[in-house]
Amino acid sequence: MPQPLPSKENSLFKQVVKNYEAKQYKKGLKSAEQILRKVPNHGDTQAMKALILNAQGNSTEAFELAKVALKNDVKSHVCWHVYGLLYRTAKNYEEAIKAYKFALKLDPDSAQISRDLAQLQVQMRDYPGFVQTRMAILKSRPHVRQNWTAMAVAHHLNGEFEAAERILTTYEDTLKSPPPKSDIEHSEAILYKNTIIAESGNIEKALSHLEAVMKNSLDRTAVMEMRARYLLLLDRKEEAQKAYRALLDRNNEYRAYYEGLEKAMGLDRTDDDSIPKLAELYESYAAKSEKVDAARRVPLDFLQGESFKTAADRYLRSMLKRGIPSTFANVKALYRDPAKRTIIEELVNGYASEQLTNGSAENHEGDRSSNKFDEAVLYFLAQHYNYHLSRDLSKALDFIDKALEMNPKAVEYGMTKARIWKHYGNPAKASEIMDEARTWDERDRAINSKCAKYQLRNNENENALKTMSKFTKNETVKEALGDLHDLQCMWYLTEDGEAYLRQGKFGLALKRFHAIYDIFDIWQEDQFDFHSFSLRKGQIRAYVDMIRWEDHLREHPYYSRAAIFAVKAYIMLHDKPHLAHESLTNGFTDMDSMDANERKKAMKKAKREQEKQEKAEAERKEAEKKAATKKPATGADGELKKEDKDPQGTKLARTKEPLQDAGKFLSFLLEFSPKNIEAQNVGFEVFTRKNKHLLALKCLLAASSIDSENPTLHEQTVRFRRTLDTLSEPLPPPVAKVIDSTFTLIPTS
Amino acid sequence: SDPAPPEKISAEDRKAAAALSSLDARGEDDDAPAGKKEVDTEALGKAMRGLDVKEEGKKEEVKRKVVKVDQGDVALFVEQLELSKAKATELLKAHEGDAVKAMSAFVTASA
Amino acid sequence: MDIRVLRPSDIPNVQTANITNLPENYFCKYYLYHAMSWPQLSYVAVDVSRPPKTPYDPPKIVGYVLAKMEEEPADGVQHGHITSLSVMRTHRRLGLAEKLMRQSQRAMAETYGANYVSLHVRVSNAAAKHLYSDTLGFTIEKTEPKYYADGEDAFSMRMDLSDLRLKMQDSDDEDEEGSVGQDEG
Repeated sequence: MPQPLPSKENSLFKQVVKNYEAKQYKKGLKSAEQILRKVPNHGDTQAMKALILNAQGNSTEAFELAKVALKNDVKSHVCWHVYGLLYRTAKNYEEAIKAYKFALKLDPDSAQISRDLAQLQVQMRDYPGFVQTRMAILKSRPHVRQNWTAMAVAHHLNGEFEAAERILTTYEDTLKSPPPKSDIEHSEAILYKNTIIAESGNIEKALSHLEAVMKNSLDRTAVMEMRARYLLLLDRKEEAQKAYRALLDRNNEYRAYYEGLEKAMGLDRTDDDSIPKLAELYESYAAKSEKVDAARRVPLDFLQGESFKTAADRYLRSMLKRGIPSTFANVKALYRDPAKRTIIEELVNGYASEQLTNGSAENHEGDRSSNKFDEAVLYFLAQHYNYHLSRDLSKALDFIDKALEMNPKAVEYGMTKARIWKHYGNPAKASEIMDEARTWDERDRAINSKCAKYQLRNNENENALKTMSKFTKNETVKEALGDLHDLQCMWYLTEDGEAYLRQGKFGLALKRFHAIYDIFDIWQEDQFDFHSFSLRKGQIRAYVDMIRWEDHLREHPYYSRAAIFAVKAYIMLHDKPHLAHESLTNGFTDMDSMDANERKKAMKKAKREQEKQEKAEAERKEAEKKAATKKPATGADGELKKEDKDPQGTKLARTKEPLQDAGKFLSFLLEFSPKNIEAQNVGFEVFTRKNKHLLALKCLLAASSIDSENPTLHEQTVRFRRTLDTLSEPLPPPVAKVIDSTFTLIPTS
Repeated sequence: SDPAPPEKISAEDRKAAAALSSLDARGEDDDAPAGKKEVDTEALGKAMRGLDVKEEGKKEEVKRKVVKVDQGDVALFVEQLELSKAKATELLKAHEGDAVKAMSAFVTASA
Repeated sequence: MDIRVLRPSDIPNVQTANITNLPENYFCKYYLYHAMSWPQLSYVAVDVSRPPKTPYDPPKIVGYVLAKMEEEPADGVQHGHITSLSVMRTHRRLGLAEKLMRQSQRAMAETYGANYVSLHVRVSNAAAKHLYSDTLGFTIEKTEPKYYADGEDAFSMRMDLSDLRLKMQDSDDEDEEGSVGQDEG
């Protein structure tokens, strides 16, 4: 039971709670201490004090105090609630849920505790628990619409479509009169219900419901898209046609609409009879608007032979005449078809030779526009010969130089020239040219970013950071690099890490890969506030979209790319621990030719040296800090940032358990990107070193199902066979049995 | 070159920070007066009684088949497949406690 | 290039497009805040021509407009605001910025009854000013001195959306009369 307080202290306590909620931590702390001077063992006050300490960033102290508070008052819901909140900020959600549940037992009617619990349950995807908690909340506060909507969300996420729909309908039926059309919460709740009906598979019902409510829906685009889709699914082609045409009238640059219309018209791109009708259809849309690109570009996908050539000629000429720099990007997807590739090459080469004979291919136009055309042709050809499916680098270089002659400071041309040198395998020259192009437009961040990327590809980490810093704020003590971390600049961190890895700087490389890992944690955490925010806003369809995206967040290549490199780095560190010591990898010492004793000695020496360096570095930093007048590092939320104790990643690289550490990256990699063959390849390497033969085999089998011709897979399969043949002790019988029956990639020897 | 975008200053940054820090504002449903929507109290009461009926209907849980699981097998799974104890038990149960079947299924799952 | 509404799963790549091109950058969560508050208003331009190499390849974002409604309008008038707009350097002159803006503006009027849309632009940014005033029809509301951190002034621009609202009304009336479809050109 909460201990009673004298009345003065009691009102002080209420003040503390208010102060905390208003984030007035200093005031709150003062009042709490005042109470505790009078009633030293008052659990609730101690708990509140702990909460404030926690908000100020003193989490260790907060936890200690919260424990004391609980000891003093184990039956107080406040103490348990606070205990849960501390665990929640520490991101130990399981413990937080337990604490909230204790608190709820003691105070079953607390709306706040229930809501906090529900939020954690959905964050943890404990949907049955979420359903239960939301039901309790709904029962205690049925007059609030949000509670009905939240109940429906819980059922929906838990896969109970009917229950979800019923809840929403039940609430609608309690409304005395329909809310005004401008009520976005209502409009969204109705559309949300419609998506649930459709997801449950009853398209017929979804359509009739939609048609009944669409007049009052505020999200017109969504309604029109849903209706068109339902009509098509129900094979009501006439109406579907009209629906897709209406969508195209609103937005003629969305291929999904064209595809819907094609289907509604019964047209099929792989059927010869359909082609003329398709061509006619797109022609009609092209005629409607001068600005539309899709209607002109899409036919190039399905036309063949002469009609392709005619259409391509028209398309290319019109694009090049307007000097559109992305012309090549717009058509290069066609290059997978060698015939189309050849036609395009001939066409554009033709424009170039027309220039030579006639002065300009478009000589009937004014001078300025012909120049634009001529330049665009040269630029196109440079990109064409630089592209991997049509590569001829010397031609590419020739064309880009000609384009540069006409327009010496065109940033795009400089970028392409740098790219050509990259393909020549000369990252130094590529970086140099990109840096020059950067100076042609110093206010453009795009060329600046490209320049930094090329510098990283050339292992110039410091130059790259300098380049980036021209556009970062550089306000915190961490400067440009800190800004890039804070603003989650994924590409830079990844490229920086890869460059360090190429140079054998394992610490810094791992540091960057871990940064990527941590940003994914942040992104996962980012959804937290929206569990309640979205209910307030009433945008439920968007919220459910977010939940589903977050569920497979880590399949993003930003994650898998960094994770694969991190795992590779750890494997190298496992095989050759001396790599963690830079002084042993810089060429002076040939570790491979030493015997074990010598190696040990060298390692010891290296460690001593590194320690000395670190000490010097620490002293230098300390001195710098004292001299600096810069403000302390804070995040955008104004919270103080903790100082990084291992900025060089030295500790990361000198791990005693590299394979264990690799596991942190690997498990998400295999869980979310199982169809990424490289993920399976590196998975095998880790498991085989840990003697987890079944897991290694799982990787081999998965890789084989993705691409049985993968060369790494072949080498690994042979190695796996050999490992099995030379085991020092036999495998447990069930394991051996499983391997015998499932490892059929190569026969037993 | 081409249209570049409206640019922002640190004032915008502050706006962003303010928006973000207010996301977790309390008051999801608050004790505010019954909300802006006119709810028919009688209908609401009926709706609430309806909830209970539905819940009861749901309570008949499907009885799960009881599968005996060998603790030695669980330990083997934890060792060999790096699974948690709970996951290992679940996997075994899903295959009637047959270790070889369960492991084979696990190993070939994504293949 | 497809023009379509922004989805939560687009956010990492929209964030990259932003930080690659523009000096003002935001956390993932700020994009999420837009997408969760006004999911109808932000649009992306997507290069759909290349098939993904793995099942996990996200769509290639070549441009975006991040937009919102002003939550507490100083003038008390419901209006939209463009938080950020960018088109990749490699995909300029295709009219993508205009197409993105038009979709967003219509959604502002349709879904939220916005009376106008506002934005800020550097006085020196002639290209952007051209897009906003000549192509889209924005007018300069006022100049805000030293609006930018480096001391540059900003034009505060706005565009009236009542035409769009009228058009909606018309098409609503047409619906009443039972006719189908509408042409907004």
